[in-house]
Amino acid sequence: MMALSKALLRVAAVTCLASPSLGADTYTLPPYSPAYEPRTLDERGLWMEADVHEKRLAGSPMRIRDDHLSQYVRDVLCRTVGSDRCGGVRVYIVDIPAFNATMMPNGAMSVWSGLLLRVRSEAELGAVLGHEFAHFELRHSLLGFQNRRSNSDLAAWIQVLGAIAQRDVSDTQLSIVGSVYRFNREQEKQADLLGLKYLKSSPYPSRSASEVWQHLMEEADATAAGRMIRKKHQYSAGFFDTHPTELNRADYLLEEALKFNDPGEAGAKEHYKAVEKYLPRFLSSQIRLNDFGGTEYIVSGIAGHTGWTGALLQARADMYVSRGNVRDLITATTLYLNAIDSGYQRPEIYRGLGLGLIKLGRNDDGRKYLKLYLENVPDAQDKKMIQLYIDDAGGE
Amino acid sequence: MKLLTLLTGLTLVVSTSANAHKLIEPGLREGVAGGVFSVSVPTTMNRLQQKEGKFQEIWTVDGDGLNKIIFFGGVPDGEALLRQRDKKNNPLPRFNSKMLLAEIPAYLETSYRSYYGSPKVNIGEMSPVQFLNQKGIRFDYKYMSVEDEVVRSGMGYATVKEQKLYMIIFEAPEIFFYGRDIGVFEKIASSLRLL
Repeated sequence: MMALSKALLRVAAVTCLASPSLGADTYTLPPYSPAYEPRTLDERGLWMEADVHEKRLAGSPMRIRDDHLSQYVRDVLCRTVGSDRCGGVRVYIVDIPAFNATMMPNGAMSVWSGLLLRVRSEAELGAVLGHEFAHFELRHSLLGFQNRRSNSDLAAWIQVLGAIAQRDVSDTQLSIVGSVYRFNREQEKQADLLGLKYLKSSPYPSRSASEVWQHLMEEADATAAGRMIRKKHQYSAGFFDTHPTELNRADYLLEEALKFNDPGEAGAKEHYKAVEKYLPRFLSSQIRLNDFGGTEYIVSGIAGHTGWTGALLQARADMYVSRGNVRDLITATTLYLNAIDSGYQRPEIYRGLGLGLIKLGRNDDGRKYLKLYLENVPDAQDKKMIQLYIDDAGGE
Repeated sequence: MKLLTLLTGLTLVVSTSANAHKLIEPGLREGVAGGVFSVSVPTTMNRLQQKEGKFQEIWTVDGDGLNKIIFFGGVPDGEALLRQRDKKNNPLPRFNSKMLLAEIPAYLETSYRSYYGSPKVNIGEMSPVQFLNQKGIRFDYKYMSVEDEVVRSGMGYATVKEQKLYMIIFEAPEIFFYGRDIGVFEKIASSLRLL
């Protein structure tokens, strides 16, 4: 779990504009005026800090600088929150294999590659982006900052007064800390609900928001099963939780979506078409996380929409190679061969297949594929190493 | 009075040798990484008191953020490279003695992703070399540390003997430090012997 300060920075969203009333009407979005400039001292300070963070993010080596991918994410954002809202947002895609997106108080949004890998449609992506934008519209950074400041002021004063009165104030201190975390969870829930309203006004079905959390819970179950530990999903958040639990979110998001009753086109095909070029890269990073169960769940989930494409077969084979039990090599070999048969003939497949066959003791077959690998990539970085295996297979 | 307090403070700080690093003089040094290696040290170095795993020993000249040499003295089959901090929720991959030499860089990469949360490790060139008097692999890599977002370059030599992994790696920021200190590492790696 992240430290509090990191987590709270993460949910930094700029302050909203005029209307704070969220509950007034369940269906209409509050009015929004673009080109907003921060007004109060606190807000200007927050934006100034956020500008510094954004500069770092824009120059970060972790950033994926692909125009098509960024444009795709922007398009989904604009379709979700509307073009008058999405105009001022800058989207940065970051190559981190975990499910996350963040929004800064000044309108800079970052989307992690793990998120793009896990969402199964434009609607699910829109649900997450809408949630982040909701933090921005509702001024959560500013309000959160002011809340933490007044609570820490309060805690400091109570400490002093307690010392003067010679009383133990640790219980009060604890409930003040608790209220900060609870405030944070409240903000997350508000962002969820406003995000849902964006979805209602968009061409996407609002039920997709709940599905995001359902899939995450299933992935967590798969990870736990793969590691042979027990995973329990809880309804109520713990004391130090910064967000409501996944189960809780899936529940209230589904409940509200049922009230909205808005079917729509989720856009699963469009999503996979947009990320198709990056899927092998995202999957390869995911496999390196040493989470067999979770990765299997993700890969199978994608296959449910796109079918077992060559890229997915290769990823699945790489997954088994990474786990490395003896029978896994046999599975991996079969999967690599299936990928090749499907017409997906990448050099990495030849390499993986060749090395796997050598490990299984099938030296002639292994050599054949390693030769194919070197033919396809004559200047491979591991050329000398692979040539050694070709010349001398099994002689380790 | 003030001077006395200051001096007492200073001596308290200096005299605690519990967490001090150890100076390594140039010359032949034996018993590195749990009594496993002997090495010829070309220049004065420091051995860090902290370790990230029981088969590991870390040396540095300017601090481990700027240049570090890590010795892995015989990781046995079934053990992880580094200490398992959270076996249940974030397990490190275990070394499998049936791994091919060509798979060791990927094994290092997966360990780094689990242990440090590095989002990306790029493996570079791999070549077969003689290491510890038998067939080994030399490889280089680059990764970015999430803490300081500095890109570091690394080079490693590894081999597997009697089902144990023996490895030495060198890491330094890509800018300036790697190029400056790689020579020292190559000298140390070429002088490495098993005891």
